[in-house]
Amino acid sequence: MNFFNNIGDSFYKSFIYDDRYLYFLEGIKNTLIIAFFAVLIGIFLGMIISLIKDYNKEKNKLKILTKICDFYVYVIRGTPVLLQLMILYYVVFKTVDIPIVLVGVLTFGLNSAAYVSEIIRSGILSIGNGQKEAAKTLGLSYFQTMRYVIFPQVLQNMLPALGNEFITLLKDTSVAGYIGIVELLKASDIVSSRTYDYFFPLIVSALIYLFFTFLLVRFMRMLERKLNHVRS
Amino acid sequence: MYEVKKLVKKFDKVKVLKEIDLDIKEGEKIVIIGPSGSGKSTLLRCLGRLEIPTSGKIYFNNKDITKINNTHEIGMVFQSFNLFENLTVLENITLAPIKTKLLSKQEAIKKAREYLKQIKLEDKENNYPADLSGGQKQRVAIIRALMTNPKVILFDEPTSALDREMIEEVLNLMEDVAKEGMTMIVVTHELNFASNFATKIIFMDEGKILESGSPKELFNNPKTERLKEFLKG
Repeated sequence: MNFFNNIGDSFYKSFIYDDRYLYFLEGIKNTLIIAFFAVLIGIFLGMIISLIKDYNKEKNKLKILTKICDFYVYVIRGTPVLLQLMILYYVVFKTVDIPIVLVGVLTFGLNSAAYVSEIIRSGILSIGNGQKEAAKTLGLSYFQTMRYVIFPQVLQNMLPALGNEFITLLKDTSVAGYIGIVELLKASDIVSSRTYDYFFPLIVSALIYLFFTFLLVRFMRMLERKLNHVRS
Repeated sequence: MYEVKKLVKKFDKVKVLKEIDLDIKEGEKIVIIGPSGSGKSTLLRCLGRLEIPTSGKIYFNNKDITKINNTHEIGMVFQSFNLFENLTVLENITLAPIKTKLLSKQEAIKKAREYLKQIKLEDKENNYPADLSGGQKQRVAIIRALMTNPKVILFDEPTSALDREMIEEVLNLMEDVAKEGMTMIVVTHELNFASNFATKIIFMDEGKILESGSPKELFNNPKTERLKEFLKG
């Protein structure tokens, strides 16, 4: 009986007392905001970076821009995301009044862009030159070829890798707590630092992460199935 | 139509084409033969603007070929077909003429269906390339090239990736296209086809044109030792 009393008590302390569940709701909200907008930035910017690189390879133009992109990807992949977060918050936006969640969105978006650009680039490479050459001899421009022929196939090929990237991103947002963003893990940390009871806050956070990554996995599978009519 | 002057193509330091000179007139059916590594595919790809010459010039209807932007006037058919995998047969054929505004969507579809009927694939218009046999793919690729009204079609070993029984159907279609008066330049190993089809045969070896002339001249009276060997082999 004592055990259940303890559990009940622990649960009460962690979530009900003083409306502490609100911390978790706030955490979930911020985690989702950061992950969602970072994914959008990541896809958008990653696509531009990979297009610049591919265009450079194809036409031997945009040399300086390509060098910048290479350097960008190199730096982002070569440094910890937490460090990037801290540089953005404590250095770049030090004197600027900017919502802290936005710093999180920007950091994770800019970070994800580097990885997504590499995923797209390998997707473009995997399709080979034949279809590009055929498109060229038919009079299609580079961008028409990309838009109607290459990208639809790249998207289909890269979905598993992209899903992986999104899951990593969602979990990585947990370091945002370091600069004071109340994301999910930070919320659990705040609560347990009041109650000195780590069990429920940590386990519940874990379950919530699992729940969202589960949804993500299901969503990506659904997309894969939808797009898969193409080849079979 | 084509004027090739002292065309040189190097890959890294290897000279694949060594000062090629060549004139091709409208309506000609040129077949380029030669052992592998002789530079025939590279020459064809230069004519198709897929390779940039290291030096020398190629003129297409008196225009420097490197200065022509997107053009549909030089069609090309590839060994590996290169159909767009994400599009249906009909979409494959109509994409370019529609997007380059050569034809309206209705016109393109109408024209595509006529061609599909001609090659007896009208019931495959909604299939994807993965559903087709090699011979069917190549025939679709040929009518895709025809859709944009090219002035010349280049064929880069169009039957080399096909099984024996499918080669015929592709060669027959090429002969049909030839009858319409199309200028065609073909790289192939099918010597029987070449002797019936070509108005002129070009024999290449080690980056040079060693001999050229009518099929009769070349096949019955080869002048160089290399061609004699090649024809024996």
